[in-house]
Amino acid sequence: MTEVTTATDGHQQRPAARRARRIGDRTLLYVALIGLLGFAVLPLVLAWFTAFKTQAQLLNNPWGLPIPANVDNLIRAWTVGHFDVYFRNSVVITTGSVIGMVVVSSLAGYALGRMSFTGQRLLLVLFLLGLTVPTTAIVIPIYLTVRDFGLLDTAAGVIVAHIATGMPIFIFIMRAFFKTLPSEIDDAARVDGCSELQVFRHVMLPLAKPGLLTVALLEALWSWNNLLLPLVLLPTDANRTLPVGLLFYQGRYSVNYPLASAGVLILSVPIIILFFFFQRHFVAGMTSGAVKG
Amino acid sequence: MKREAGTTGQAVADGRWISGQTRRRLSNHLLAYRFVLPALALYAVFVLWPIVNIFTLSVYDWDGISPVKEWVGLDNFARLLTDPIFWQAFRNNLVWLVLFVPLNVAVGFIVAALLSTRIRGRFIFRLGYFLPVIQASIVTAMIWRWIYAPDGLFNSALGAVGLDDLARGWLGDFTFALPALVVAAFWASFGLSVIIFLAGLQNVDQTLYDAARVDGANSRQLLRHVTIPALRNTITVVVLLQMIAAFQTFDIIWATTQGGPIRETEMLATYMYKRGFQQGEFGQGAAIAVVLGAIILAFSSVYLVMQERGND
Repeated sequence: MTEVTTATDGHQQRPAARRARRIGDRTLLYVALIGLLGFAVLPLVLAWFTAFKTQAQLLNNPWGLPIPANVDNLIRAWTVGHFDVYFRNSVVITTGSVIGMVVVSSLAGYALGRMSFTGQRLLLVLFLLGLTVPTTAIVIPIYLTVRDFGLLDTAAGVIVAHIATGMPIFIFIMRAFFKTLPSEIDDAARVDGCSELQVFRHVMLPLAKPGLLTVALLEALWSWNNLLLPLVLLPTDANRTLPVGLLFYQGRYSVNYPLASAGVLILSVPIIILFFFFQRHFVAGMTSGAVKG
Repeated sequence: MKREAGTTGQAVADGRWISGQTRRRLSNHLLAYRFVLPALALYAVFVLWPIVNIFTLSVYDWDGISPVKEWVGLDNFARLLTDPIFWQAFRNNLVWLVLFVPLNVAVGFIVAALLSTRIRGRFIFRLGYFLPVIQASIVTAMIWRWIYAPDGLFNSALGAVGLDDLARGWLGDFTFALPALVVAAFWASFGLSVIIFLAGLQNVDQTLYDAARVDGANSRQLLRHVTIPALRNTITVVVLLQMIAAFQTFDIIWATTQGGPIRETEMLATYMYKRGFQQGEFGQGAAIAVVLGAIILAFSSVYLVMQERGND
């Protein structure tokens, strides 16, 4: 594309000058893109390096590779910094949120996408409302409700709050997904004598696997990374998740960057592994469903 | 529950009051509700009820614990109007929006446009730009706190190019704390804009470009007269999404400056949090939340209308 347009652009120029300009343009373009790549990746990579440095190594050269690599920070974060506990809490809450979200959003998405019933439009409007109201604005009453149910400081409290606040977008994703499946399939199953429940479980659900995977991955990402809800709903240190633990931890150890970076590493590695395996799903899900923070 | 519905339906049908077809339709309605019920129950208790509650809370003076709530009408809102910190937070939110949204959208758009031309290693660029997007907000906060620290990376880089004079604790600086955090937020989010714009660019009808080129358009004209009009919807969507995100800004502030120095980076969300959860003024916090919610609701309603129109 650029080739053609530059050619039309420089009609009167001599070929050599034209080519020189084109090469100059391309070089500039790559310099800009690579510069931005450095801006995006370098802070992260340097933080990971720092996790393997001693304070002295960091002071000596913050930009260098961690040679010799040192795992003391990770061990100290894990044991003294309670990251073993935070990690376990995060795993429990993320697993619960993902399983709950997949079940709840696939059921509701199916009903809203492929069944017709009284009150359907009202339900859609209600879920649309949840899509527009930010969690930040209702976090105070959410806290009070969770407290009233006696779920404050429990994993269950955070899980239900995650599922409830996140469900509108996932219900719409699943609804859209079920709508794309051709109606001949379930009609055929019905003719063969399947009940509605069987149609859902044995015919539609297996076909909806890609949609379910998107829901599971995005919910895993969001509940693993979420700060506000666990911050508000888990007042006790022993119940905190990784992000909340890290928040308080950096307050205590703010000067010790290697130790803080070890926390960053522990938090971001699982998500990055997940991302490398399911890149396409992450990207597709986040562009189609836009974002709800 | 299903069996019960079946037997009563049977009984009534035997009396020939309801035809078999109606009965089947009725049980289908009930089945649909059984599918929706788990979602609806959780949603009603932990989202819809809180939405109602945010309004009721905002007309009371309550510390969140005592059994007595004092009804104060619109006093909480009236107090906000004369509260200089509220207005400072509001202004900071606007400054944040004005700095953050154009930066994010412009860079996102330009990068996507460049990546959709013949670029080597496009995959690597996309991957790299997207990597910060999947990081937790606390990770973004900690990394940039480290970069901006008095003995941090940024000052070290300035020193390396002989600009030691400019070095300072960036997040403690009255002028630079807010823009510095905008850069951090930009770092964490521009990759998503790139990806959304790239998806939009893929849908642009290629024959439009061919036709324009036949008419002798150069690359700048192609951008102005083909790409931008074709992506108008996507641009609006990204702008609105980023505006919504900008007004909700909480994590990055809370994990770095907590609103400081003094009030220079205070946002509506951080002020709400302080009032509600730290000072135990739930009514006042709820009033801020109502204002915050109303602003975002306005943006997101426009967004939804746009999306709806885009789907047609």
